[in-house]
Amino acid sequence: MSTHQHTITALVQNEAGTINRLVSLFRRRGFSLASFNAGDCEDPGYSRLTFIVNGDDTVVSQCLKQLNKLIDVIECEDLHQETSVQRELALIRVEPTQPQRQEVYDVVSEFMARTPSATESTIVVEQVSDAANLERLITALRPYNITEIVRTGTVAIKV
Amino acid sequence: MEKDLRADDEVGSRPEGGLRSEIMNRSGARIVMEALVREGIDTIFGYPGGVVLPMYDEMLNWPQVRHVLVRHEQCAAHMADGYARATGRVGVCLATSGPGATNLVTGIATAIMDGIPMVAITGNVNSWAIGKDAFQETDIQGITIPITKHNYLVTNIDELPQVLAEAFYLANTGRKGPVLVDIPKDVFIAKTEAPFPDTIHRRGYTVPGAPPQGQIDEAVRLIAESKRPVIIAGAGVLHSRAMDELLYLAETTKIPVINSLLGLGSFPRDHELSLGMMGMHGEATGTLAVQEADLVLGVGIRFDDRLTGNTSGFAPKAKIVHFDLDPSEIGKTVNPVAWVLGDLKQSLEEVNKLIEPQSRPEWIAQIRRWQEIYPLIVPEGRFLSRTVLKALNAHTKGEAIVATDVGQHQMWTAQFYKMKKPLSFLSSGGLGTMGYGFPAAMGAKFARPDEEVWAVVGDGGFQMTLQELQTAVEYNCNVKICLLNNGFLGMVRQWQELFYDNRHSHVAMGSPDFGKLADAYGVQFFRCSRLEDLEATLKGASDHVGPVLCEFVVEMEENVFPMVGPGAANSSLLMDPDLEPSEAAHQVGAFETTHAGAALS
Repeated sequence: MSTHQHTITALVQNEAGTINRLVSLFRRRGFSLASFNAGDCEDPGYSRLTFIVNGDDTVVSQCLKQLNKLIDVIECEDLHQETSVQRELALIRVEPTQPQRQEVYDVVSEFMARTPSATESTIVVEQVSDAANLERLITALRPYNITEIVRTGTVAIKV
Repeated sequence: MEKDLRADDEVGSRPEGGLRSEIMNRSGARIVMEALVREGIDTIFGYPGGVVLPMYDEMLNWPQVRHVLVRHEQCAAHMADGYARATGRVGVCLATSGPGATNLVTGIATAIMDGIPMVAITGNVNSWAIGKDAFQETDIQGITIPITKHNYLVTNIDELPQVLAEAFYLANTGRKGPVLVDIPKDVFIAKTEAPFPDTIHRRGYTVPGAPPQGQIDEAVRLIAESKRPVIIAGAGVLHSRAMDELLYLAETTKIPVINSLLGLGSFPRDHELSLGMMGMHGEATGTLAVQEADLVLGVGIRFDDRLTGNTSGFAPKAKIVHFDLDPSEIGKTVNPVAWVLGDLKQSLEEVNKLIEPQSRPEWIAQIRRWQEIYPLIVPEGRFLSRTVLKALNAHTKGEAIVATDVGQHQMWTAQFYKMKKPLSFLSSGGLGTMGYGFPAAMGAKFARPDEEVWAVVGDGGFQMTLQELQTAVEYNCNVKICLLNNGFLGMVRQWQELFYDNRHSHVAMGSPDFGKLADAYGVQFFRCSRLEDLEATLKGASDHVGPVLCEFVVEMEENVFPMVGPGAANSSLLMDPDLEPSEAAHQVGAFETTHAGAALS
């Protein structure tokens, strides 16, 4: 069975140790976690998390069952690309030479990204998109001296 | 006048409003005692310390709950475990912060692996000191995340009644397991009017009930079609009290029943359809039957590696149907063609409504032939561990509760002790915890004082927890210890013999003079090293009221057979070299049964 990237979302009850418990599960059972994101959701006292997991169908099925077994986890699901919206936010700081600055803005414009902050020596590029598009943007910005990248990890919602 | 329970070892200053005003009417310590009484807990096992002083003070007001003072917290957890296994009720242990809490860890890990209902209560440093590396502070919640079904750190006294009620509920419903509740010292002292909840509801947590009808129908169809079915029955049958349903299913459809180690006791061992235990040291017949079967019904088992051997060679001709209440067990190690997900008792009840009586003369005859060819043997005229355990079985008629440690004696007990009743075989099957047997036997005896209770231990494991002899003496805990002393860590020595060219590395085990030791503790002692004294020794032990240590000085180098080597498939079964190969053995045909002596020469 081939390994794919799966997007798993989970609704969890917020208690002391909940995040620790979730991440501990991935570590101890050897599930490969590419990214995870946690935040408040529509239910007060609950959080919704998005995990990006690498594995074949058997591994991901076991991962879902083990997550479901945690008392904190109310529900969890493996989302399909076609029936979900998946987005990630990235902040990329570049420090181009003066002659390169316009080229950076051209790249930003081509990718429909934003530049929420710029100083004499730095430009912070902000992009919200799917992970593949983000990778292309980062590749396009490589020549302009990327000094820091911060990514949220994917968040996903069913359509 | 109310006693001020605040000790002077507090770290940091008490913030304003750190304690609730006097109008609140019960302390956290009192709420813990109330919870125990509400849950019907008559005995707890623990050890005091700084931060649980308020708890120990409150305890004096509650004579209806007996506290057993252990000599090491690990044994408090094992005793709670033994109490739970022997009764099905929740076992409770109590420890102080820091080292008290970490000493529970082995016992908690033992319980989660075998699905044992347990509530572990630990004290912690004052809530405002947590995170400041206070004296005897440890993050026991973080430490026990992977080894508890759930755990809590209660920093708000108002939440304590809810948390305790939930802890007992979670521990003893669904797939059972240990739940830890960590309570800072100030929360034991703080007061609240918060009541216990009338009912427990946790969003996202449902207790499995009856399975979907479609799953039942499919299982019934596969049973009806099968020619050579076997049932492998595990601890799940005992947890959900489905013994009668299992018996009815097996008898009606004439399906032989094999047990996993922890499933022993779920099916009568003297029943004509019982094939005993299977697995790494299971009886050959059960292992061979699974190899030849066309249908394997796994009932309340988790198909662990000691049972399946190399999974690629497990039940090669069989369709597997898995009955369990835990969805994560389905497909975890083997791939069933069908499964029945739900409470086992209800699942089997539903199946039993639809099954038709069957007879399987050819299959049963084949199994009888294997049983004749490959019996478990105890060579005559020698003083072996097996000799003692066979005699113990005869002496107790299989009616005693037996707890084992881990190693060779554990496997021999599983092979030769034919327990007649459920909840009478206590063993650390999953974690394999040496030192478990003696304290677990004590926990069982505290829970069921009218039953005869034996701990079967080796000289290695017994030396890990023998300090509880003092506890046994103080409480006159009438446990009989069958100590099989062969001067070795026998199972490790066996593996070194079979797989490491017989190079003994740190397996010779010196022991104290157990007679003097027993004398020092004030425990009745018998030493037996001769066949002719065996029966008298066992009888002497049973007749004495109070703890007894029986040391059986057995032959030093005895191996457990049959054996499936580590990582090997169940088809490559090492048979006992003392077993006479017979002509009939060749009829086994498909099976690559090997005589250990020949294979290793």
